[in-house]
Amino acid sequence: MKLTASGIKKDFPRAGKTSNFFTAVQPLDIELSSGRLTVVSGRSGSGKSTLLNMLAGLLTPSAGSVCLDGTDIYALSDGALSRLRNASLGLIPQGNTALNSLSVLENTLLPSVLYSKCAPPYETAASLLGQLGLGSVKDEKPSALSGGELRRMSVARALLTRPGVILADEPTAGLDDENTLLVLSLLRRYADDGACVLIVTHEDEAGRFADEQLTMNGGMLSR
Amino acid sequence: MLSVRKLPLRNLRGYASRSAAIILFAALTSAAVFGGLLLTGAVRGGLETVRARLGADIMVTPESAKNEFDAQTALIKAEPGYFYMDSDVLEQIRSIEGVAAASPQLFLASAKAGCCSARLQLIAFDPATDFTVQPWIADTGTTREMGLMDVIIGSSVSWPSADNAVIRFYDSECSVIGQFAPTGSALDSAVYMNFDTCRALIDACRSMGLFKYADFDGDRSVSSVLVRVKEGYDAESVASEIRARIGGVSAVTAAGMLSGIADGLRHVSSAVKALMLAFWLPGLFMAVLFFAFMINERKKEFAALRAMGADRRILSRIAVTEALAANLAGGLIGIIVSGVLLCAFGGLIAGRMNVTFVLPPLGKMLLTALAALLPAVLAAACSSLAALGIISRTDAALLLKEGE
Repeated sequence: MKLTASGIKKDFPRAGKTSNFFTAVQPLDIELSSGRLTVVSGRSGSGKSTLLNMLAGLLTPSAGSVCLDGTDIYALSDGALSRLRNASLGLIPQGNTALNSLSVLENTLLPSVLYSKCAPPYETAASLLGQLGLGSVKDEKPSALSGGELRRMSVARALLTRPGVILADEPTAGLDDENTLLVLSLLRRYADDGACVLIVTHEDEAGRFADEQLTMNGGMLSR
Repeated sequence: MLSVRKLPLRNLRGYASRSAAIILFAALTSAAVFGGLLLTGAVRGGLETVRARLGADIMVTPESAKNEFDAQTALIKAEPGYFYMDSDVLEQIRSIEGVAAASPQLFLASAKAGCCSARLQLIAFDPATDFTVQPWIADTGTTREMGLMDVIIGSSVSWPSADNAVIRFYDSECSVIGQFAPTGSALDSAVYMNFDTCRALIDACRSMGLFKYADFDGDRSVSSVLVRVKEGYDAESVASEIRARIGGVSAVTAAGMLSGIADGLRHVSSAVKALMLAFWLPGLFMAVLFFAFMINERKKEFAALRAMGADRRILSRIAVTEALAANLAGGLIGIIVSGVLLCAFGGLIAGRMNVTFVLPPLGKMLLTALAALLPAVLAAACSSLAALGIISRTDAALLLKEGE
């Protein structure tokens, strides 16, 4: 599986200023391939998350294209893009994205039930939660979890369907050293198993697990 | 098993206080609409039933009975009473132009004492000339001809023993041969019989020293005369003619007798309309507002679902199902509660408001319930639109970055 972005940039409107917009991501190319873990590091506000969201099909680029195995994802209809995202992309967002009315286990299972009528993979979900140290809280509601636990739950949820592409936005933010290692090791393992993994982070630790390290500064990507 | 289909209900349970508020407002709205429609329908039904059961265009009573008989309230909350006039009046009425038929009735009130089953209005009709009571006897299901000491009771009259169907007045036993359908009026607490039975009961009453008219002549006394007017004649004009030509009588038209109930119906209708407006618009507004609050509060959850690959159709289906489920649940609760309250206390409420009350048949009640669900459906539609607006404006990428 290959995710390629060609000449993508992102402008955001800026009200009340002399310029009508500012460019969060300058035109750039990036290619994520199977079996490789890429880390994009940079300071807060450097455009990392904007880049990740464009790659995830959640934020339409102002220019350029994003292709998954040759398919321009922004040329797809909302339904087709959503199904593609569900089937092939595992996104670990930045904030707390738990559904408060579901248990931790059910939250983890959500991607598997959106389109499938088959029984959700309870054992896989429980195993993933166990690997991330959440086995004992799988039946709790998200409100009972700490920020670090919620983050690890997001990781488990993104990995549940073994997507071909994993996009992680600050997956280790707020985690202690032990859990940081746990999460990064797991992502590395998924890359080794054939997934394309992209981690955007402002922490240095992830670099140790990367096949390729990129830096983002002022919306510009450099090696 | 977790599924997208179950998500809306899980969400409603997860946000219990907000969901309860939506259900409460939907319930209040539907309760007001269903209660209002049912009450108005029952009062109107009562009026129509009484109008049909009255069967006469004019009722003539002795003028001296004014203290005991108020034509405008007699059908609603009449205190059992009796009064008499000479039966000569019957022929005089028949001779008046425009009178098609005239039939006498004889009244007696039973006593609130051990000699009687209950204090009730006893009404005797003349089977040979009657046109107001007999048409309804067929509906009671009785095939037995009414003989001496046979009675047919109004719907709200109960008798001590259903097995032997006997009711007792002035220590005399009468056989209950039928029971009329409810009219929601004072007619429901009356007991009907022929003249011979009534005269026998008057004799029994007199022998017990409880009869107040010493000069009563059983063969020459009647209490009222019911008149049917010929086609093409105005009942009010004929009633005026009766009052003018026959001294000592009062003649009141059916419209006059029903005017009290009709006024009551108008008041009830106005009050119900005001009540429905008072509950419906604010209830609708609040239900939509609370739902919009709830969706707005969960924007990030919708963004998370989007990130997992849920398309807009799935998000819309979740929001619309939640809106429908909450509002329909509230609507059903409101309808059931107001229905039960009205069935239990409708008669009491109507009595206080001086109107008749007959609940419509079950089929009509179900149709009314369906109509009363419309505000809940409207609230669900408005809530869904509000939710879809919020969801369509939701920038998943931006929301997923918030609260980092």
